[in-house]
Amino acid sequence: MNDDDDVPLESPAESLALISRERDAVSRSVQFNPLAYYLPWGFAWLIGFGLLFLRYGPDGRVFVPMPDWLPLVALFSLLAAAAIGTVAMSTAKGRHVHGRSAWQGAVYGWTWFLAFAGVGSTLGRFTKYLPDDEAGLLWGSASVGVTAVMYLAGSAIWLSREMFVLGAWVTVVNIAGVIAGPGWHSLLIAVGGGGGLILFGVALWVRGRPR
Amino acid sequence: MTDLDPVIHAQARLRIMAALSGLADGDRMTFPRLQQILDMTAGNLSVHLTKLEQAGYVEVAKSFRGRTPTTSAGLTRRGRVAFEDYTAALRALLEPPKHHPEEG
Repeated sequence: MNDDDDVPLESPAESLALISRERDAVSRSVQFNPLAYYLPWGFAWLIGFGLLFLRYGPDGRVFVPMPDWLPLVALFSLLAAAAIGTVAMSTAKGRHVHGRSAWQGAVYGWTWFLAFAGVGSTLGRFTKYLPDDEAGLLWGSASVGVTAVMYLAGSAIWLSREMFVLGAWVTVVNIAGVIAGPGWHSLLIAVGGGGGLILFGVALWVRGRPR
Repeated sequence: MTDLDPVIHAQARLRIMAALSGLADGDRMTFPRLQQILDMTAGNLSVHLTKLEQAGYVEVAKSFRGRTPTTSAGLTRRGRVAFEDYTAALRALLEPPKHHPEEG
């Protein structure tokens, strides 16, 4: 039963190999797959904001005729699916790890929820005073702005340079979209934001692949 | 024998230390998961974790999720330092030609 104690450690080289094997096994088991995390969000933005642009284009143009409700329903369904997937994956990973990162992950998750609850309730109070296209821009830009801030905060929590780049990029695209106005904002977020998230996930995945 | 840390210098405990060093600072892994990754019996893992805990290298915590108790283990700051020293000593053994590999 306890004979492992007596197994001699062969050579320093073998001990070092043993160390990196066990270390990697644990690191791998707690690492997340960036494709699984970022691609669902990227496609939600790409498709959701893409449909918004096609149906509610600049100056009220309709590039592709479709029911009024379709773009928003598609966007919210895709975002909800991405959120459910992210929470499910994080919970599954976190089940085996306790301590500091479990706390960080849980608080970060709740912060998303609270941030949107806070900003959403404010926007909800004032949208009625705005024309439809400006109200849409307000909701879109505030939501994307909050998301960018969450990525920036994530970079501070996990000391991740990449997340800072992502948050800064989404902020820049968002500001550009607000300046360009309703319609254009959707296009910029679909391509720059959604495309950016997809590229970001793929880049992290390529870099983190076992060599 | 060289002056390698005797607490870590046993295969089972070295494997446990190495595995726990793959976690982020301040994190602990649940006992069943650690057992699964290391492929050790519960008794064996428990014995060695106790030895590492007594040396102050590992922190073992018990928490409750609902009514189910969960045990988790992680490296202490002291354990992390000891483990880094140990691996540094191993590397040093490989480098100078005057040393011959010990037989265990």
